[in-house]
Amino acid sequence: MISCREVMERLWDYLDGELPPEATLQFADHISACKRCFPQYQFEFAYLEALARQRQRLPGPSDALVQRLRAILST
Amino acid sequence: MSASVGSDRATLEHDLLAELSAVHRFALHLARDAARAEDLVQETFLKAWTHRNQFQLGTSCRAWLFTICRNAFLKGEARTTRETPTEDAELEALGAAALHGSVQATDPTGAVFEREELDTAVQEALAKLHEEYRTAVVLVDIEDQSYAAAAGILGVPLGTVRSRLFRGRRLLQQDLLAYAQDAGLLPVMKEPTQ
Repeated sequence: MISCREVMERLWDYLDGELPPEATLQFADHISACKRCFPQYQFEFAYLEALARQRQRLPGPSDALVQRLRAILST
Repeated sequence: MSASVGSDRATLEHDLLAELSAVHRFALHLARDAARAEDLVQETFLKAWTHRNQFQLGTSCRAWLFTICRNAFLKGEARTTRETPTEDAELEALGAAALHGSVQATDPTGAVFEREELDTAVQEALAKLHEEYRTAVVLVDIEDQSYAAAAGILGVPLGTVRSRLFRGRRLLQQDLLAYAQDAGLLPVMKEPTQ
């Protein structure tokens, strides 16, 4: 049985998929049933989604850079 | 040139170009300047192509390019100061839980993070992070690398990546919540726990 403190300490590991399978199941069971940990889970999930969203927010490489790289790779 | 060598060369050329967008994003986060980022990408591809025989087939081409890119970036930086990363990742996670506690009454599920108005603030807050924390956050949270892959790219133990990542995340979250509060996206909250 894991405690709320353990969940708080390792919530990011859980969200990152970095916990071993057995611990992942224990965390999932605890979080889904715990009124204290579930909002924390939702909060951190939304936060990490906001960071991942940044992948789409940056400008791509310029055409000039692409041309220069193609020239390098043709040597 | 044999058909096999020509085929390998064409495959690697294709694989390198397929990673261009990811390497460009990574370089932008490192350099925080568009022109410098393009120079960094060019240097990365030039080095990768020159030393293409060092690439091990079956390994991640993206991770290899990220490693070259960061090394090129660090080489060009005057690294006179070095942040001492915290060794206690759990403490950072508990700090984040305390941050959540400070906004729990007004935004228990983090709805504020879904607002697109926050995106510019995320970019600005990321740019303000120390390079070691910023790089860990970018690799894991934006480029979707595992802790182990990020450790390989950065050449540090996995525990160090985790510590840097957690500290970077907490600092970033603290900054974003303060921004959201100032911008009226969140009601005023209590002073966050350091």
